[in-house]
Amino acid sequence: MSKPSVGTKKRDFWWMCVVPLYLFTLAFILGPMIYMVAVSFATNNPSGYGFQWIFTLENYLRIQDPTYLQCFRQSFELAFSTTALTILIGYPYGYYMGRLSPKGKKLMMFLVMVPFWTSSLIRLYGWLILLQAKGVLNGLLQALGLIEDPIKMLYTYPAVLVGMVYALMPFMILAVYSSVEKMDWSLVEAARDLGASPVKAFWTVTFPLTLPGLLSGVILTFVPSMGLFFIADLLGGNKIVLVGSLIQDQLTRGSNWPFAAALAVLLMAMMTLMIVVYRKVTHVSELEGRL
Amino acid sequence: MKRKAFKFGSLLLALVLLVAGLSACSGGETEEQMVLYTWEGMFPQEVLDGFTEETGIKIIYSNFDLNETMLEKLSAAKGGDYDLVIADDYIIEQAVAQGLVGELDKSILTNFQNINPLYQGQFFDPENKYTVPFGAGIPLIVYDPEAVDFEITGYSDLWDPRLEDSVAMIGNYRVVNGITLLSMGESMNTEDTAVLEAAGEKLLGLAPNIRMIQDDNTQNALLNGEASVAFLYTSQVTTALAENPDLKVVYPEEGLGFGIMGAFVPSAAPNAAAANKFLNYILEPENAAQCFNWLGYYCTIGAADELVNPALVVPDSVTSGEIVQNISADAEAVHNKNWIDFKAACGA
Repeated sequence: MSKPSVGTKKRDFWWMCVVPLYLFTLAFILGPMIYMVAVSFATNNPSGYGFQWIFTLENYLRIQDPTYLQCFRQSFELAFSTTALTILIGYPYGYYMGRLSPKGKKLMMFLVMVPFWTSSLIRLYGWLILLQAKGVLNGLLQALGLIEDPIKMLYTYPAVLVGMVYALMPFMILAVYSSVEKMDWSLVEAARDLGASPVKAFWTVTFPLTLPGLLSGVILTFVPSMGLFFIADLLGGNKIVLVGSLIQDQLTRGSNWPFAAALAVLLMAMMTLMIVVYRKVTHVSELEGRL
Repeated sequence: MKRKAFKFGSLLLALVLLVAGLSACSGGETEEQMVLYTWEGMFPQEVLDGFTEETGIKIIYSNFDLNETMLEKLSAAKGGDYDLVIADDYIIEQAVAQGLVGELDKSILTNFQNINPLYQGQFFDPENKYTVPFGAGIPLIVYDPEAVDFEITGYSDLWDPRLEDSVAMIGNYRVVNGITLLSMGESMNTEDTAVLEAAGEKLLGLAPNIRMIQDDNTQNALLNGEASVAFLYTSQVTTALAENPDLKVVYPEEGLGFGIMGAFVPSAAPNAAAANKFLNYILEPENAAQCFNWLGYYCTIGAADELVNPALVVPDSVTSGEIVQNISADAEAVHNKNWIDFKAACGA
């Protein structure tokens, strides 16, 4: 923790810097989590408002109902397809971005970051304008004579998928880019010198070396995509019930906090499990680090 | 001489400081304010400004999206923080039950008799102690006759297979479940879980026709051609008609669902007197008419009927409407499940 040359006074100072951080984490992250787990075992008030501290497993048993299970299924399906699509587009993008000249890198980085200057909600409304029946895309297709009547693009599953991939793409690109950038290209050259084809060199050298970046990209897209329910609400016309919107629904309209807490705890447990499995399978110990 | 000048100067300075201090104090006193808590866009700016001009009370407009959010916040504040709340009937009943609502001060409310008695004595305030009704809503079917090739007369028509993927719906679970019940000849407030389960089953049949579900600006889907039929709140009906007068409004033959918004003063309101003064101000016929013309809801202030847009005065047939009321927890649970199943079926 401290180098031998550092004196006592400096060590004390270091200690004081870190304590507020720990206190903050304990009070505002761990505390609420413990509270949430506790609430998930409480009994909902039969009158519909508030809850009582009576232990029950009913909230967890209730999730077995097909109505709620299908929300989990739909959420996972959407998260999987979103992640798969972001890999398909984001990996090559990040890869080529990492191989550009410093000037090119700066420009590409700028282009990836620009959308973040606008609120994500406003960018989603942009998609609404593009996709709606009397919108830009339908107008273009009609003007080109490719279609006669507008296609119903908005409020469909593909529309939601497009919105999700759009919102989460930068995380994949930047994660892949950072690992490509750090890569030692002399290793690839060595492989080529020893007779490996470009494809073989990619799969045996480049890909494993950029895997940590790819995996952190996967986690950065998969985990939030379970919770970005406002995209499904706006572009999907509220027709896909994700776990995120189910939790919000139970907290507000449904007025069942213990059930909402149980759903949230289960979702978090699933996410944690998934991250552990990722690490075990890929032997990645540090998400940003080396193999 | 010099000394005298100095003395005079310091005296002057002290005087200036004293005056400045006094005026700062009195400036603080005139900054009386009240916090109005309701949905966004409930009042025309002229009415709010007019009140501030007349009384010197500044209005802080704070807004919520959902009744439930309001109740949560008000309950967290133990009936404090806000001076005047405007929300829907059923949530007011819950707020009253939780002791979050204070009685109106009738000594300030000299215009109380201006209210249309039709909207008084409702289940959420049978003795008219707590609320001033402020606008009534009737969710109605609106459709584009150019895009629909048959005449829609009631809720049952929404199930017609010819409307596949073309109905826009408001996202109010009690109202949507309610019209399903009305189409079955049942009450919107039935607590019979078997009937409610049957309604849930029937509602699943509506899913293929649903284009989208949204609670805000639902009329846009109808106006921009995404949907050819929409089931809308009153304010949305008014907006849609203003935008496209060719749209047809249906007063469904099965009966109407009816909702009243009410204004109440929370039990621990920091400035209850100002809230009562504001209520009295909007009960003045001219001010009320201005409010309802802006709001686009049915006018609940009878004294303003003659001044308000005639389309916002209730036709005689509407008095038979049923108000969505709070129901037993068991019935509520079935409603909740029906709604989630319905939404999921729409996306499938």
